Amino acid sequence: MADSSTKKMSKTRRAFLIGTGLIGGALVISTTLAWRRVAGAQSFKPPVKAGETAFNAWLKILPDSTIIVQVPRQEMGQGIYTMLAMLVAEELDADWSKVRVEQAQISAVYGNVTALGDSAPAPMQAAMIATARVLGVQMTGGSTSTRDGWEPMRMAAASARAVLLAAAAAKWNVPVAELTVNQSVIKHAGAGKSGPFGEFVQAAAALSPPSQVMVKAQKDWKILGTSPARLDVVEKSLGKAQFGIDVRPEGLLYATVKHIPFVSGALQEVRWKNGAPPKDVLHQVRGDNWLAVISTSYWSAKKALEEAELIGGGPTGTVLSSDQLTLRYKDVLDGKDGGFAPIRRTFGEHGKAEQVIAAAPAAKRIEAAYSVPFLAHAAMEPLNCTALIKNGKVDVWVGNQAPTVVQWLASGNVGVANDAVTVHTPYLGGGFGRRFDIEVIRQTLACAKVTNGKPVQLIWSREQDIQHDAYRPAVSCRFTAAIDDKNGVNAWHHRLVGPSVSKSVIGRMNPLFAGDFPPDKTNADGAAELPYAFANFKCDHAQVDLPVPTGYWRSVGNSYTAFFVESFLDELAVALKKDPYLFRLELLKDQPRFARVVDAAASAAQWSTALPQGWGRGIALAESFKSIACMVVDVEVVGKDIKVRRVVTAVDCGTALHPDNVKVQISGAALYGLTAALKGNITLKDGIVQQSNFNDYGLMSMAECPQFETVIINSGAALGGIGEVVVPPIAPALGNAIYAATGKRLRSLPFRLA
Amino acid sequence: MAVTLSINQKPVTINAPDDKPLLWALREDANLVGTKFGCGIAVCGACTVLVDGVATRSCVMPISAVVGKQITTIEAISEKGPSAVQKAWIEHQVPQCGYCQAGFIMATTALLEKIPEPTDADIDAAISNLCRCGTYPAMRLAIKKAAQIKKAGV
Repeated sequence: MADSSTKKMSKTRRAFLIGTGLIGGALVISTTLAWRRVAGAQSFKPPVKAGETAFNAWLKILPDSTIIVQVPRQEMGQGIYTMLAMLVAEELDADWSKVRVEQAQISAVYGNVTALGDSAPAPMQAAMIATARVLGVQMTGGSTSTRDGWEPMRMAAASARAVLLAAAAAKWNVPVAELTVNQSVIKHAGAGKSGPFGEFVQAAAALSPPSQVMVKAQKDWKILGTSPARLDVVEKSLGKAQFGIDVRPEGLLYATVKHIPFVSGALQEVRWKNGAPPKDVLHQVRGDNWLAVISTSYWSAKKALEEAELIGGGPTGTVLSSDQLTLRYKDVLDGKDGGFAPIRRTFGEHGKAEQVIAAAPAAKRIEAAYSVPFLAHAAMEPLNCTALIKNGKVDVWVGNQAPTVVQWLASGNVGVANDAVTVHTPYLGGGFGRRFDIEVIRQTLACAKVTNGKPVQLIWSREQDIQHDAYRPAVSCRFTAAIDDKNGVNAWHHRLVGPSVSKSVIGRMNPLFAGDFPPDKTNADGAAELPYAFANFKCDHAQVDLPVPTGYWRSVGNSYTAFFVESFLDELAVALKKDPYLFRLELLKDQPRFARVVDAAASAAQWSTALPQGWGRGIALAESFKSIACMVVDVEVVGKDIKVRRVVTAVDCGTALHPDNVKVQISGAALYGLTAALKGNITLKDGIVQQSNFNDYGLMSMAECPQFETVIINSGAALGGIGEVVVPPIAPALGNAIYAATGKRLRSLPFRLA
Repeated sequence: MAVTLSINQKPVTINAPDDKPLLWALREDANLVGTKFGCGIAVCGACTVLVDGVATRSCVMPISAVVGKQITTIEAISEKGPSAVQKAWIEHQVPQCGYCQAGFIMATTALLEKIPEPTDADIDAAISNLCRCGTYPAMRLAIKKAAQIKKAGV
């Protein structure tokens, strides 16, 4: 896998490298030949307030040398405001205490090229990157923000630095090459001159940016690789951070929404308890499968909706129950139809796995079946959106993961031009993929159309959020492996069944684009290519359409494939009577980067030390979002009670640019994954979700939080993501630990000991 | 339909039905949006405020039940600069998305009044709020640090 991913990486970087070369250890980047959007970024300027000077799309400088970085990604707790500001500060040699961020406006210049590129199957990646540059969709997901900002933001800062230096050199009449910069102060030692950036802003902004810029070599970094205080932490600690639910435009009305009880189907009739809505209701707005009411308070709107019975549903066959789905999935894995007309595709193959397995005697064949349930995102800030439609203009305030899509939706929905729509993106009270979805925005716009120029804030109750999410899909799979005569794995065949999340998400945005082609790579992410040396390998997937909306959920396909793959690998180790850690190393003999991560985790966890009675230790490895993580979990099992005691992680994300943030993303994502491993379970009964709030869809708590230790490996490989990369390995590491403690192999989530 | 509450040591008149939860009176009527809505059933603790010094889940507390009591929200505890708890929160860089943090800070503020130097078991028992980002490890350190800052009277 490392081989093929290296190949892919060099392909995507080629266009960029055409215009680059190495001089004196620093990367020289031609701004004309390099990434096309950066050329655009030189001419595009963000709006400026009095006293601000914009140098390019990415940064403004004030006369007092304050640097305002334009951040086109959304801050949802992953620390991206800080991280992207660090990229700019590094190249400017800036005084970090005077660096601020602003949410960038919507422009194609800021489009996330990496996210769309990553989403495409390998043969289509180049075309997708080209398309992404034209579309310029601003979005935050797929652990791509730092990778995507890596070149253009550093180049933009280096370009601004160059004109600032040129202005200083001209003023002091000295050669540019003799100038140094430290803490936002330009200095010429020989002439005894120095002055802060602010002094040169006016003159510098009048100069043409250079056709070539130098980006610093890693050895010269002063800010990257350190862990400065996060820019959002003070206001979040003081209770002053503004989230979408906190915006209060003048004259604000409140609304809330109720859907028909079923996860799919249409609203047919509204029956009010007393024949009519309570008098607090100012307006009723009906949608396909929902009713919203507008009032002067969320509370009165919510109480009013409690009096409304929503009658509706889907045609026969759309009323699904989870236990029935499990049986239908089993049929599909047996090669039958399952009532689905599944689309069967091979996502990864080398050798002749099926033939080798068919030829193997039964004693040399190992089989197992695994499954995971639907999951809700359960971000702490309930879904909400605020909209104002007035005088041909639309303002939308919403914590969202794709402002460009919000703008397109609002302009189409209201019937105005894109530039008549202003999207305000405050802090997101958790994202995890949930805030890609646009249903709440559509509902709010429908409400704002009937309030005669008054703003309206629509808030979903937690019950609506849990019962009408776009869920992480339920997925089942089956493995068959063949053992060779040398006590090794000769063939690996993994068959998955589940829906396409991308098809569901895109279908809600625009059904015209929601097809079965190209294949949804996320279906088998984390299973289609494995680093392990199997002579014969096959991974295939049967895609089915479910009458259940599904969505991107932190780490997407990897959230279930790693659980399947790493648990079954552990079963093979047991069957072959091999140590699970050494077995992985044996399979990674040609993958030194992976082996190093596994070694680091095992060593930090003191893998072979003894544990108390009733305890167990498990290991799991997963590559996702271009990063590699290995986790070792220690568990204590008391009766049916599973207590996670210690989680040791080794991670190679290329280079940790903010090591402290890497560590908290790891403990945070591990807890997110532990919630799925131990608690998360959305079940359907006759088309209705059985859970409704945190009382029956619980989250990991402080008292249940294990001890965390994290080892960072700075391998210098191409940058990987960090926000999602340990959601995949935590569940199998825990499951393998439970096996070690109890001898019981748990093959479905959430883990339950009988 | 109108009640006067003592919020952050100021009288505030709320024109709302008696059964309106304190959370929504704070957010909609008193324009104090630091207190957050998370679940509406007193499970997650995002809405935690102090009522006569006791950590209280405001999403299920009708305003009629808090008349005559001292209500303290996140907005009040940093009026004279960050409180000990907030200083510790900043030092340990606790928040991620930040949405649930005001509730945790208020719960911790109440805990330290009752138990100035809480043990891990005290923290586990008292801090039952939920954080989806998983900030618990940094938070536990911050709670202990806040106890130290408070004790030193800095």
